[in-house]
Amino acid sequence: MTSAMMPSTYLAEGSSPGAWLLTTDHKRVAWLYLVSLTAFFFLGGAMAVLMRVELATPAGDLVADDIYNRLFSLHGIIMVWFFLVPSIPATLGNFLLPLMIGARDLAFPRLNLASWYVFIFGSLFALFSVVAGGVDTGWTFYTPLSTLYANGFVSTAALGVFIVGFSTIMTGINFIVTVHTLRAPGLTWFRLPIFVWTLYATSLVMVLATPVLAASLILIVLERVFGIGIFNPDLGGDPLLFQHLFWFYSHPAVYIMILPGMGVVSEVLPCFSRRPLFGYKAVALSSMAIAVFGFLVWGHHMFVSGQSAYGSVIFSFLSFCVAIPSAIKVFNWSLTLRKGEISFETSMLYALFFLGLFTFGGLAGLFLAALAVDVHLHDTYFVIAHFHYIMVGGMVTAYMAGLHFWWPKLTGRMYSETAGRIAATVTFVGFNLTFFPQYMLGFDGMPRRYHTYPPEFQFWHVLSSAGAVVLAIGYLMPLFYLGSSLFRGARAPDNPWNATGLEWQTSSPPPPHNFETIPVVTRPAYAYDMKGLEHERFSPHRPAPP
Amino acid sequence: MSGTESIVFDSPRREWRADTFAMWVFVGSEAMLFGAIFLVFLFAHIDFGPAFASASKHLSLPLGTFNTAVLITSSFTMALAHMFALHKRWRPAVWSLLATSSLGVCFLVVKGIEYGKEIDEGLAPLLGLPFRYAGPDPVHAEFFFSLYFTMTCLHALHLVGGILAIAGLLAFWPKARPGNRQRRVVAVGLYWHFVDIVWVFMFPVLYLINR
Amino acid sequence: MSELQKLVFGYVGLLALLALTVGSSFLDLGGFNVALNLTIAAAKTVLIALLFMHLTGTLPRLAVAAAGLWLVILFGLTVIGR
Repeated sequence: MTSAMMPSTYLAEGSSPGAWLLTTDHKRVAWLYLVSLTAFFFLGGAMAVLMRVELATPAGDLVADDIYNRLFSLHGIIMVWFFLVPSIPATLGNFLLPLMIGARDLAFPRLNLASWYVFIFGSLFALFSVVAGGVDTGWTFYTPLSTLYANGFVSTAALGVFIVGFSTIMTGINFIVTVHTLRAPGLTWFRLPIFVWTLYATSLVMVLATPVLAASLILIVLERVFGIGIFNPDLGGDPLLFQHLFWFYSHPAVYIMILPGMGVVSEVLPCFSRRPLFGYKAVALSSMAIAVFGFLVWGHHMFVSGQSAYGSVIFSFLSFCVAIPSAIKVFNWSLTLRKGEISFETSMLYALFFLGLFTFGGLAGLFLAALAVDVHLHDTYFVIAHFHYIMVGGMVTAYMAGLHFWWPKLTGRMYSETAGRIAATVTFVGFNLTFFPQYMLGFDGMPRRYHTYPPEFQFWHVLSSAGAVVLAIGYLMPLFYLGSSLFRGARAPDNPWNATGLEWQTSSPPPPHNFETIPVVTRPAYAYDMKGLEHERFSPHRPAPP
Repeated sequence: MSGTESIVFDSPRREWRADTFAMWVFVGSEAMLFGAIFLVFLFAHIDFGPAFASASKHLSLPLGTFNTAVLITSSFTMALAHMFALHKRWRPAVWSLLATSSLGVCFLVVKGIEYGKEIDEGLAPLLGLPFRYAGPDPVHAEFFFSLYFTMTCLHALHLVGGILAIAGLLAFWPKARPGNRQRRVVAVGLYWHFVDIVWVFMFPVLYLINR
Repeated sequence: MSELQKLVFGYVGLLALLALTVGSSFLDLGGFNVALNLTIAAAKTVLIALLFMHLTGTLPRLAVAAAGLWLVILFGLTVIGR
């Protein structure tokens, strides 16, 4: 086998639009997702910036109340379903899962491509709702507002989310089957990288929760279009039932979003502290625990919605319980760092920021799980700050950590480490400046979803708006230095970080079908304490040096 | 490659295993979709039991029972197709598949007749059609019919999907290799049986409330 | 051909259960009509799953068990919360 017989990298396989749009190579599908998700991230981000600019003054001077309602609704819908839910699984997960388990592709390559087309089809509906006049129900589509009173394009937005749900389920089924049936010989479950474990747990949630969201959205559309009164109290319907169905999906969806981030951090922290992951089995199993326990707590979104008091007590208790597996992870990550040879590469900086921000956001969640405290904090900026610390401070930071960690593998190029470190730090400062004041606002009683506020709140609002500008700069910077690395970056070696894991044993970027022969695995994951590792491990086909 | 359709798998057996597992996961996912709809119905039934019971009596039990038998028969012929395909007896397999999809169409036709009857009687609270209901508690009876149309339409859509899947299977049949024929029959069969199971629950829940 | 016999047994069993469930609906069993109907539906599901769908092997059973557990969570906790 010489390198002349086949294209040496998946990127060299053809650059025509057809070669990209009709590819079934999981690595190229990952790029299709990466490009489209980046566009949605900045679209949703632009709406957030508009809101923060509006909130710099107490009066409603930039946008009217109606426009403001549409801004936060579309910001939420786009960020949750068109960025956060697919973000890590569909990009990094798509690219890395087969590489990490020693497979040539996902179990169903065509289904994988189809999932991207379904995603794009659904996103057209959502974009139509944006252009046509927006939605003002909030991302939660609560009934009866969404069914009886809202006059925006609720049906098209809901249909868009419904269709994107299919793409999520397709990805989930593909990942589950891949992990079960395509692991390389010797790669037992407890030798899998934690990233694979978290993708598996996420897929489980995707497959079992998304259909329930689909059901509730179908019922909303039927009610709006056909006048069927499932959630309409005048016709005997029950609006509260919508909240049950919605949060049965949407609370676990929070774990869809955060679990893969936890996986990324579990890869990055051991690599840059040169230590095996502390408590591997506990971290792996706690991912599964989160996937299951995450389904038991949805009622904590409904403490003030009129569900039974008995139910609230149970949901409150279960919500405290779900903090345990997350805490297990945080302690194990911290102990991984102990006595490590820590170096601060860009992805390590992001991973450390994740550790702090996720812990901070998670602890705030315990306030909200407590019944009495939640009555005070419900629907205030405290809630906004809490979930942005998890979703943006946690998830997006982990996404950036992963993107920087595997960028050499994705592209075969190195980026400017200095620019990366600066961007990471700017993001961290900007993030805290944006969202820490919102804890204060919420605790003082500022409700969410208002475009005006009493003047005494202005101090914190101005800080938050200033932080949003810094944060925006922090997120724009990678566009430039990662973008320019594609053309001017140094060629990446196969294993620039000297990391363990099968994905680093192929060339950078990998050949079209990943492995010439399927590797045999003989070691646990994260064997950073073993000497001479890279020579003993399997070395697959790679092009001869020029 | 050694008889596998995709380069990913090293043996047809593994590919088969992956296919079947994927279909079962998909069926589990679909079960959650119908589970959520049944949950809505369950709570409505708990709240408005008497109204639902009397509204249910306006559905046609003979047609409903007939349709249940039709679907059960179609599941049986689908299972026959599976058996014949595994024995590579292609001609009876194709006939069984044709029988299955015809029974599916038969179910839809009967369902259509039922819908027509209900619309004529003014029992369809759709699209602003007049709702003329003579029994007690018409508001909650209307809710029952809303749920009835939602649930049966969702099921009918899945059945249409199954019929299209069989049509696609037969369209690619002549060119397909034996292994692929078998895998596809098994996959479509799993979906078909699942749609049948959904109806097995829908029928007593909708038609047989304290009759 | 015992394979065919199994399928025929399943088919006849399903039709018998259908007759049973329709017949029982004409009797007033108090609150037990619903329970009986659902039990019969569950029995039919078992017949279809085992005889027609060939529910064997670890992985398919795992998928069914997961869906079952999640349905229990969905129904159970909604009942509690309401």
